[in-house]
Amino acid sequence: MTTPTLRTSGGARRRAARSAWLFLLPFALLFLLMYLVPLGFAVVQSLFKLQRSGLGLSAPTLSFDPGFNYGRLLGDADFIASLGRVVLFGVVQVPIMLGLALFLALLIDSRSAKLKGFYRLAAFLPYAVPGVISAVMWSFLYSPVTSPVNNALQEAFGFTLPFFSDSWVLWSVANIVTWGWTGYNMLIIYSSLQTVPTEVIEAARLDGASSWRIAWSIKIPMVRPALILTTIFSIIGSAQLYNEPAVLQPLSGGSITKSFTPLMSAQAQAAAQNYPYAAAQAVVIAVLVGVLSITFFKITNRGDK
Amino acid sequence: MQRKKSTAALAAGAAILSLTLAACGGSAGSANTSSSGGTSTSGSAGSGDAAAVKEITFWGWAPGYDKAVEAFNSSQSAIKVNYEEISPGAKGGYEKMLNSVKANQGTCLAQVGYETLTSFAAQGALEDVSAYAQSSESEFAPGAWNSVKIGDAVYGAPVDQGPMALFYNKKVFEQYGISVPKTWAEYEQAGKTLKEKSSGKVSLTSSYLNYDFAGFNWQASAPWFGVEGDSWKVSISSDATNKVSAYWDGLVKDGVISKAPMWDQSWYTGLSDGTIATHVGAVWIAGILKGDAKGGSGDWAVAPMPQWNAGDTAVGNVGGSATAVLKGCSDPEAAWTFAHWMSTDKEAFAGLVDSAALYPAATALLDLPALSKGDPYFGGQNIFDVFKEASSEVVTGWTWGPNMPETVKTLDDQLGKAWSGNQTFEEATKATQEKTVSDLKAQGLSVTE
Repeated sequence: MTTPTLRTSGGARRRAARSAWLFLLPFALLFLLMYLVPLGFAVVQSLFKLQRSGLGLSAPTLSFDPGFNYGRLLGDADFIASLGRVVLFGVVQVPIMLGLALFLALLIDSRSAKLKGFYRLAAFLPYAVPGVISAVMWSFLYSPVTSPVNNALQEAFGFTLPFFSDSWVLWSVANIVTWGWTGYNMLIIYSSLQTVPTEVIEAARLDGASSWRIAWSIKIPMVRPALILTTIFSIIGSAQLYNEPAVLQPLSGGSITKSFTPLMSAQAQAAAQNYPYAAAQAVVIAVLVGVLSITFFKITNRGDK
Repeated sequence: MQRKKSTAALAAGAAILSLTLAACGGSAGSANTSSSGGTSTSGSAGSGDAAAVKEITFWGWAPGYDKAVEAFNSSQSAIKVNYEEISPGAKGGYEKMLNSVKANQGTCLAQVGYETLTSFAAQGALEDVSAYAQSSESEFAPGAWNSVKIGDAVYGAPVDQGPMALFYNKKVFEQYGISVPKTWAEYEQAGKTLKEKSSGKVSLTSSYLNYDFAGFNWQASAPWFGVEGDSWKVSISSDATNKVSAYWDGLVKDGVISKAPMWDQSWYTGLSDGTIATHVGAVWIAGILKGDAKGGSGDWAVAPMPQWNAGDTAVGNVGGSATAVLKGCSDPEAAWTFAHWMSTDKEAFAGLVDSAALYPAATALLDLPALSKGDPYFGGQNIFDVFKEASSEVVTGWTWGPNMPETVKTLDDQLGKAWSGNQTFEEATKATQEKTVSDLKAQGLSVTE
């Protein structure tokens, strides 16, 4: 008879589904409350226009005007410039950082490496310092007055580095981010390297492949998923650039403005109590990051079929 | 195909995780374990006592407010004030207050700087208490009273004021044989002499941003805002402000301005070791010097603010704050009663003078014993003699704009460039003017230039 088996398997499946939902519930609930609801709220808020009149000595009113904030964004030269700035930042800083991370990971993973544990920890350590703290630390190194770097250069060679000049400042920030995050990315890539089967590498070696050749033709292709993952992380990180420039701002002599990055710009609008406009900026950032990440993902996966 | 799918899932899952964590403002680590939101206990908890006791909540950050509240609560039993210390206004406190008003939490009183009070009023975040407060006008310095009212509405009690003067390092001045400058021209000359004689080691002063810079314009009768009929007049860039701008351009060109930004550790160090020789600032700078530039103890002294024309006595103002009554307060009368008491009670205010170096807005308090004695930090000088004089000379006619947080952010971006010599102060104020006007217009406010 087949009916009983069918019935039990159906019941088991239903029970399994139920317990799967039960296990998912804590995550789903938090995800809904902490992520989807605020996101939805921001989208809704961005559709309203903050309206005051005359001297504005009464509470501002909100009127539904879906295009208003987004229209204003298109004409907001500061915001557009901040987007351009983080794109430039990402295009330059992300490849440098990930290149460094990959290089370090391969070095530590290589057969002849010594003191692996020490180097792994040393490279990772900057990530253990909270972002704001490391920015404060670097601000001492960059400071126009106290910078030991510049003082030493001045003593020895009679010149100083203009860390906060308009053309340098973005790269001064990039330097801090690279310092803080290279080790983190290295660790992800390194752990991915651990999963490369030893027999594959052994086979390559028996075929007479050099260490360079093994790294280039076997290891790197096999850690591709990790590289894609870290790149997407880094794209998101670049778009959310905030801590480092915000900490350096008071020292920067005006080269880091209140709208230096898109998030700083949105934050400035929120501080000025213009929440709908801040929400519109946040939505635009989120959409752009989403589009960028998916595009990157699609492109890198095309040859993967 | 299988591999592609799993990579996609991994990447998507990780991206979502990272976004969720970022949204919580958290760092990396294990997932959903920490969810300690804001546990606010602002409401009145167990008010088991008689229903006659009126409870009000007061938010502030000045050291000593807690003691004043305690003293008030034990002095009478009709009103109970619950004091909560929050972050200073510019560091998030103001946003907290405005959000509280928006969320209708019923917080009654808040410490609000005069420069921000107008912006609060323009958000509809303040309660008009003129019905109870009007009769107290004569108790306060006119400038301070002016700062808590717009039109006929009164929004709180003025607590302190910030008349300006010249803080200078007497020891450094004597060392290089410089006499105390009485005019701005003499002040510039003093800077040049200092630079020359110390071979560039000693700077005249450091850079000034936002409200500190505003003080110079205040003194020069160059108000940044005004009200004309039903419109805001914006004049951050005018012939009058250009005079002030041109002067500071000159000092930047002279190379007498320290590169240490105000409030930075390097600024405190410079004030402490004598490499920054002066600061033109409000009375509360005395507290900053004593607290954070301990190395300068005994060296500093105070003289009247330098003048544009010899013999003038015009003074600007920086800072000062009110105890403002927030919209949605359940009992504005009780709120005003406490606010007025804290601003005028002799004993309570003596405590505030000690702990926060507040300089009273109430004229009867200017003779407090704490304000009538020499201070060893200033070589035994009674600096409040200078400030008492100055407080009566503060130029009238200064009005703050309807969205100072926004204005000031643009201003600081622009001033920063001017202090580092990348543009003139005239260009800086012009850019701020344009941005402010367009921002205000974008919100529908009526603006004239």
